Amino acid sequence: MSDSQPKAGEPVPQPYPYQEAPTWPQQIGTPLASAHPPHACMGLNSCKGQDRFGAAGPTDGPEDKIGKPNECAGQGYCSTTTDHKCHVQNDCRNQGGCGLNGTAEEFEQPGINDCKSLGSCATPINSERFIVNGRYQGQSVWLRARQVFHEKVWPQLREENPDLPEELPPIGGGDRMGELFQAGPAFLWISDNNANRRSIVACGSSDMSGATP
Amino acid sequence: MSSSTDPISPLTWEEHLKTLFDDLFLTREQALQELKENLQTAVQIELATIPIYLYTYYSINRIHTRGENVDNPSLYANKAAGIMMSIAVEEMLHMSLSANILYSLGVEPQLYKRSPNSYPTPLPSHNPKGPPGPDRQTKVLVPLSKFSYEQLWHCLQIEYPEPKIAWPKDRNWNTIGQFYSYIRCLIECHHLKDEDFQVNGAETQIQSYNYSPNSIDTIYPAQKFDPWKTPEGSHPGGYPSAAAVAQYPNKPDSHAGHAELITISSKREALEAIATICDQGEGYAHREIDDPSQSEYSHYYKFLGLQAQLERYEHHIEKLPNLPKPPAPITPTITDTDLEEIIYNFPDNPTTAGYPQDYQALSNLCNGVYQYMLILTETIYKVPNPEQKLFFNEAMHRSMLWVLNRLIKHTRTFVMDNGYNFAPTFENIDLGSRQDAYTNLLALTEKITEESQLKVVKEMIETIKTLPDAGPYWK
Repeated sequence: MSDSQPKAGEPVPQPYPYQEAPTWPQQIGTPLASAHPPHACMGLNSCKGQDRFGAAGPTDGPEDKIGKPNECAGQGYCSTTTDHKCHVQNDCRNQGGCGLNGTAEEFEQPGINDCKSLGSCATPINSERFIVNGRYQGQSVWLRARQVFHEKVWPQLREENPDLPEELPPIGGGDRMGELFQAGPAFLWISDNNANRRSIVACGSSDMSGATP
Repeated sequence: MSSSTDPISPLTWEEHLKTLFDDLFLTREQALQELKENLQTAVQIELATIPIYLYTYYSINRIHTRGENVDNPSLYANKAAGIMMSIAVEEMLHMSLSANILYSLGVEPQLYKRSPNSYPTPLPSHNPKGPPGPDRQTKVLVPLSKFSYEQLWHCLQIEYPEPKIAWPKDRNWNTIGQFYSYIRCLIECHHLKDEDFQVNGAETQIQSYNYSPNSIDTIYPAQKFDPWKTPEGSHPGGYPSAAAVAQYPNKPDSHAGHAELITISSKREALEAIATICDQGEGYAHREIDDPSQSEYSHYYKFLGLQAQLERYEHHIEKLPNLPKPPAPITPTITDTDLEEIIYNFPDNPTTAGYPQDYQALSNLCNGVYQYMLILTETIYKVPNPEQKLFFNEAMHRSMLWVLNRLIKHTRTFVMDNGYNFAPTFENIDLGSRQDAYTNLLALTEKITEESQLKVVKEMIETIKTLPDAGPYWK
């Protein structure tokens, strides 16, 4: 068996579409914004300033983004839960991703699970990932997670904070970021233009999760 | 699936006769005893298939070429592996279903050290002679072997469909269908009542929520795809997204009861479980499919479909049954040279003792994890619903996906001094009593001293330490 094949994910789309976005942080920033529990992915944060960049906001990327944390629940850039690779590896409640290994019932509720080891799949949830079982088979895991967040978590947050809008706000607050991240965090962004494929972790051997190292 | 109205097929003429025989000539005790013994054999038949299929699965490199660069041999490799895994997953389901029936009768299923003792292996109680294969041999001895035309024949030997006229048999059976037919007759006989299937309750059987038909490992791409595209298609042009080309070999309606994995507390449920096993394995009513949506092939036909794309299929000499009708050759044809590109050079029927000295500790660890997984499976019956879900996740999923699967995937690239790639031997290694097995498994991790191996398997050893200790459940 020879190994002189093109590297995974090459060629990458050109030009790099995320030049205007803050650089994906390899480590979850500290301190985090609030005492709210960690969440599984982009746009699933329960309060202002809570996301992977930490309370102080992005530290790398375009100047207009540095030091500016997100403005609202549902706008956060990415997960605050410990990154993990797969089914049953989540540390706590509501920290599982979804889509790759698990049951149809679990795949209905990405980002929602009862406790440690009951989560289904890796976080953060890269936007290329799709659901392999159940009635959402073939559909985006991240979009389903946002829908579940909108239906189950958002009404509770609005009860706590009536100023929150009825609809979920776009990622990053509505500027170009909302458009860039309308399907979730792309692996192209997470992997820094394919330079660091191991900066996200996902499991599986079929090469279809969009993030297989 | 067995008919549009009743998922269980009516008894055949032969089964009617056998059931009548059981009614007239067996005592209730004899019928129960035979059923229990044959169900334990059924568990061991299903168990025997799992290492055989997994060994062949792991010999396939699914990602030699990828995404938009994928070539025909790699597309075939990914398909073959996805299909092999889809079948292995259903064999685990069949083992669980047989074990649930046995447990409902009051007997704990035995799995630990019940895998085949050596390879090539007969299947328990299988007729040692079958139809001639590609080597014109009629022996039914199945090897641990890498993916090849010959190995697919051995898979076909396992899944060979029952002919239209076939007597139920529990010894010297020619098809698994005949064997389960024998069990079906025992269940149908008037000696057995629903109460017999309620000795052990459903709450401690393996629950339906522990099974899912597909995973990221059972699916495969139908064609080249753009790995950067989202399921909704994030940018126009070029190849479609992975989601758009994903093939799902297992279908959600491929079962006879209310779910794929059911618990048993009646004769009816036991018969539904057996219908699921037989239809998934050999197909429904001598056809190639096994599900109401007619979109999932039986195991037999899945294997035959893979063979039909290999160059030797067109002039095959092995004897295939008339029904289901074998497929025409499938293109693009995969040659033996293509296979060399996508298949790891696994040895045939390896043993730890036959491996070079410096790989024996690693092989023992793989075997230890495999046997410990069987102990964990037995232990599930001691963890009632709803706690079972957490136990199953932490025990089975973690040991399967994050220990054994990764151990094999990471170590199969080691080329040993004998020129072969390292491969799991799936032996019945002795971990001591079930109470002591976890401690003894941990001791096996300490024996890995080769630096190059330790570097690769360190993470998996750490995960082994997070597995539940089954010992307290067996005190």
